[in-house]
Parts: sequence; structure tokens; C-alpha cells
Amino acid sequence: MAEDLAKWKELTRDVSDFSSMLKAARRAEKQGEGDVPRIAVLGTNSIQLIVSVLRALLLSDGQNPRIYEGEYDGIRMDVLDSDSPFYRFAPDYVVLLPELRDIPAYPELFSSEEETERMARESAGYFLGLCERIHEKLPAAQILLSDLVLPFSEQLGNLEANCGFSRTAYLRRVNALLGASRSGYVTILAVDALASYVGKKNWFDETAYFLNKSGFSLQYIGDFCDLIRRQLRALSGKVRKCLVLDLDNTLWGGTVGDLGYEGINLDPNDAVGEAFLAFQRYILLLKKRGVILAVCSKNEEDLAREAFEKNQHMVLCYDDISCFVANWNDKASNLRLISEKLNIGLDSLVFFDDNPTERAIVEKFLPEVAVVDVPEDPALYVRALDRFHAFDWLQLTKEDISRSKSYADNRKREELLQSLDDYGEYLRELAMKASFLPLSENSRERFSQLINKSNQFNLRTRRYSEAQIGEMMEDPAFGLYTVSLRDRFSDYGIIACIILRSEGKSCFIDSWVMSCRVLKKGVENYTFQKILSLLKEQGISELRAEYLPTKKNRMVEGLLPELGFSLEGEDGEGGRRYRLELPGGEIPAGTYYIEEE
Amino acid sequence: MKTMELLQDIFRDVFDDEELTIGEETTAADIEDWDSLSHMQLIAEIEKRFGVRFTTDEIRSAKNVGEFAALIERKKG
Repeated sequence: MAEDLAKWKELTRDVSDFSSMLKAARRAEKQGEGDVPRIAVLGTNSIQLIVSVLRALLLSDGQNPRIYEGEYDGIRMDVLDSDSPFYRFAPDYVVLLPELRDIPAYPELFSSEEETERMARESAGYFLGLCERIHEKLPAAQILLSDLVLPFSEQLGNLEANCGFSRTAYLRRVNALLGASRSGYVTILAVDALASYVGKKNWFDETAYFLNKSGFSLQYIGDFCDLIRRQLRALSGKVRKCLVLDLDNTLWGGTVGDLGYEGINLDPNDAVGEAFLAFQRYILLLKKRGVILAVCSKNEEDLAREAFEKNQHMVLCYDDISCFVANWNDKASNLRLISEKLNIGLDSLVFFDDNPTERAIVEKFLPEVAVVDVPEDPALYVRALDRFHAFDWLQLTKEDISRSKSYADNRKREELLQSLDDYGEYLRELAMKASFLPLSENSRERFSQLINKSNQFNLRTRRYSEAQIGEMMEDPAFGLYTVSLRDRFSDYGIIACIILRSEGKSCFIDSWVMSCRVLKKGVENYTFQKILSLLKEQGISELRAEYLPTKKNRMVEGLLPELGFSLEGEDGEGGRRYRLELPGGEIPAGTYYIEEE
Repeated sequence: MKTMELLQDIFRDVFDDEELTIGEETTAADIEDWDSLSHMQLIAEIEKRFGVRFTTDEIRSAKNVGEFAALIERKKG
């Protein structure tokens, strides 16, 4: 199987090479069909090849899906008929690929702004309405809806860009509305942006459209399916969080060890210096959206740090970097160190280094780390990193945005820890405040994110889509709770999620996940105390829980016995079932130094 | 004939069959996987490797390998 995986990876290595994509697709069709995940692809144009290539790409991700392929122009047929084979297929994911023919109507010439806006809302409403219909029948399914690819043709000629009622202006508005008005169970696939990137004169192939109703040129079948694949990856929680940067000739021109902080090239009046500045500005934007930044450089630490603190042109400052490693050790060891210090997996790291030897070493020794293929010319660094699509996430949450700050604040906490010798005293000094609350509608995104992204502090590693979480919120048998935390240095926001399922006097911990940023702070004890008092109020007499091992969640292997649970039984694969009787009196849940918010 | 040799390579590649042998008389009926989609794939590969571009009508009308070869040679002049 591992050999198979390597074969698929090799075959689909270059998604822009349509010949190898189609060859992979042909082989994928001969492969026995699997069952996970279940994906339905519905389209207005022909989708046969899309389905085959998508299958090949998912095989290269180690998944063997079962795919339902809708009929040609079959969206309405499948979606509007509640007894359609599509609904009977019961997909986990629905890929909905409408196209311009589906637009109900266009504004007339001289339509007013209000009229155009009303029609645009109607069109967007039509597509989102289809999604809503699907959601009603398949509440647990996540829907991937393609936006509309704006044609290059300009019906009004030079006036196309000058009239609010032009088809281009109208379609652009429909696309904007799709993104702005979607529900959580819908994700928009940015196909128009992909078509623009490759160039619309190449994207559209009129001959192929008239002959076969292909929506775009065969050349881009791999890029198109990769867009879907990346979204599916994000939905399954496989996201990268941290960008690890080299320094010399990556963030600035030249070697700081030789040139000093004043000599490195970040000169805004020099073409190459400008290129490095542009790269730093792009990285700062990544940081602002929540990407954690780390430095991994072969340098003297004080010299490297000096460049950040004293060079007047530096865009990034020392505090933007959550983990700063500059020494002479090999980079593979240093990346391991960064992953440990930040408490995130190696598979969360993206490595950007101008030196091909360093990249090759990291690729060889740490295959989990994503290594960007850095071009020789620094002018192309932004493009290389951007098109690497390393940070495709499910959603943006406030916690993400404040996260890199809170990693930086960790350094200050470490300094505090070093000044005190007693850990309990340290925890008290942090002045932590927490709250334990039932999940509310406006925390749902964050809840879904934590449930799907947490790997380490996660008892059962059950993944739930936002849609499924919505279902559980409606179901009285389920209790969904969040824990928020802040201390004197930063506000972490929501850092733990709990799903409880009750049946009579018995309750089961379906999920308990916690962000690794708050480990060893007593939050688990606080959380458990809150769960216990909650269950006591509800008159529950028995609490059941389970530990299901994965490669990553060893840290919670001992959690349940430590909290007083007794072992009930084991399955053959290391899973353990636990039980705890809840008498009327107080149950100690372990010590913590956290006050109620 | 150079064109036929190159076409043979393309057919083997597209149908993922290293032993596939084609002649001028070969049609879609002779190759199991030759459907309308692999037809488009063939066209795309031929256009790429010979550096030619077919019209809609040519793609629709070409029925056997020999007709492709003739079209290619005419276009390459």
C-alpha cells in the first residue's frame, strides 16, 4: 500500500502536466473503488474527466474515495428530486459545478444600479438556494460550490468596464455575493481566480466546449482538480500553520555575518533590495491572518537578531517571530526543535530557504515538512510561496489571528517561569481566567476548527463538519461546550471543546479536544471540574469515556485514569473504554490555579 | 513514416498500453478505451507534440488514424 501511495504521488507530482494527469486518471479508473470519503460531483458541463483526475489526486493523498458522478447538466435533476440517486448515495462532500448557462437572467441595457443588484442577489440566491436544498436533505454534507468563471468576451466593447449593467460587472457581483452570503456548510471554490492566473485565453477552449461541453481546456484539468483536492484536505483538518524562514538571501540580500546589519541588502532604491522587501511585506500579511512565523538560520544568534532590531528597512520585527532559532546545527534538528518549542507537529511546518542543499536535507530527513521549491530570483519569492498554497485553511477565526501573538507572548511566559522556581507559583503568577460555556452560534466556526485540527490533546479524534456540529446543537441528547482562557499576557480565546452525549442517567464524552498552546496549565482539570458539576446538576450518575490511540494523541493516553476513571475494557487496537461513577458528593478533579472569568 | 511513428507513441501513451499497434486503418472501434473523452485527449496530445491546431470540424470528422496523419502532414505543410 505504501508502495502504491508512492506510485500515485509520483504519477501526480505535477498537476500542471495534463498528460501525466490524464494517464493517472486512466489508471485510477482501473483501481478498485474505495468508500471513504464519499463525494458527489454534479455539474452543468461534462464532469467525467474531472471525476477521474480527482480520484487519482485523492489516491495520491492516501484516500480511495467513492465518487458519485452526476449526469451531464444534471444539477437540478439530482438536487430538486428528493428521491434522486444522488441523495440515496448520501455523500460526505458535494462538489457543485454550475456554469454561466445556469445564470437565470442578465440585466438589460441601462438597468439601474438597484435593479442590477437585485438581479445579482437573485442569481446568487439561486445557487445558494440549491445548496440549501442539499443541506436540508443531507445536513452533514459539506458543499463545495464553484464560483462563475467570467468570460473574456466584452459584449459592450470598451464600455464593458464603464457600465454597472455590463455582463462582466454583473457576474463579478454574483461571485462576490456567493462568497459573502454563503452558509457555513458551503465553501466557494475560486475557479475564476484559477482561470485568471493561467489566463482566460488559455483557460477557455471553445472547440472542446462545442464538441464535448468541456468547461475549460483539458490543459488545466489537473489544476482544476487540485483546487477541489486542496479544499477537501483543509476540510479533513490537514492544514499547515507555521512558516519557517531562512534569513540570508531569503529575507534579505547577502550574509549578515559578513556584512553586518547595515550591509545586508534591503535597499528600497535597489531592484533586488526591493524584491526582498516585497517578500517581507507578503510574509507580514500571512502573519496578520494567523500564520505563525519561525526563523531557522545558520548564523550567530545575536548578529541575526541585530538585523531585525537595527536595520531601518526591515519590515518584519523580532516580535513577529514566534520561534527564533539561529545557530550552526543542522536544519533538520532545528526544525524539530521549532516544532517542539511551538508544540505543533512537523506536518504543520512549511520551510522556505533559498539554499537547495538545505531544502534537500529537510526533504530527505523530515518528509512531513512541506518544502517550498524556491526560485533563484528573489523577485519570484512571493509568487513561489503564494502558489505553493501552503496555508489553505477552513476558515479564519479570531483565535488564529491572535495565535501568533500568543506564541510570541510564550517567550515572555518562559522568562517568567525561569525567574520562579515553583511551577505552582508560576501558574498563580499567570493570573489565568477561564470560562466554560455552552457552544453558541458565533463560536461554531472556531469549535469546528478545533475539533478538526486538534491532533494531540484529542481523546477520540472524531472529526465533525460544521454542518454536523449544527445538527448536534439541535439535538437535546448532545451537550457542546467551549472553554476560553486568558492570562496576564494574552487572551487565547476558545482553546478547548467538549461534546457530551447523554442517555438517561449515563453520559459519554464523545469528544474532548484542547489546543496545545495551553498545555500544562491545569486547563484540563478546570474543564473536568466544570463537566462534573454540570453533570451533577443534571442528575447524571455515570460518566463514560474512551481513549482511541492515533500516532499523535499519546499525550492523553493517561488522562482518564489520572482523572479517576477506571478501565472497563479494551478493543484489539489499543482503544480503551473507561467509566466513572458520580456519587452525590464533591469529586476532586485535580488542582488548578484558574479563576472563573 | 515519421508521423505514424510519433502517432503510435501518442496512442500508446494516451491508452497506457505499451504494446498497442496502430495502422492507418485503426478506428475507435479497434481500441476499447477510445471514446469521446479519450478522443479529446488524443487531440490535445497530438496538437501539443506536433505543434498544430485542428478545427472543430476536423476533430469531429477524423475517423481513423490515417486521416489524422494526413491532416497533420497537410498542416505541417
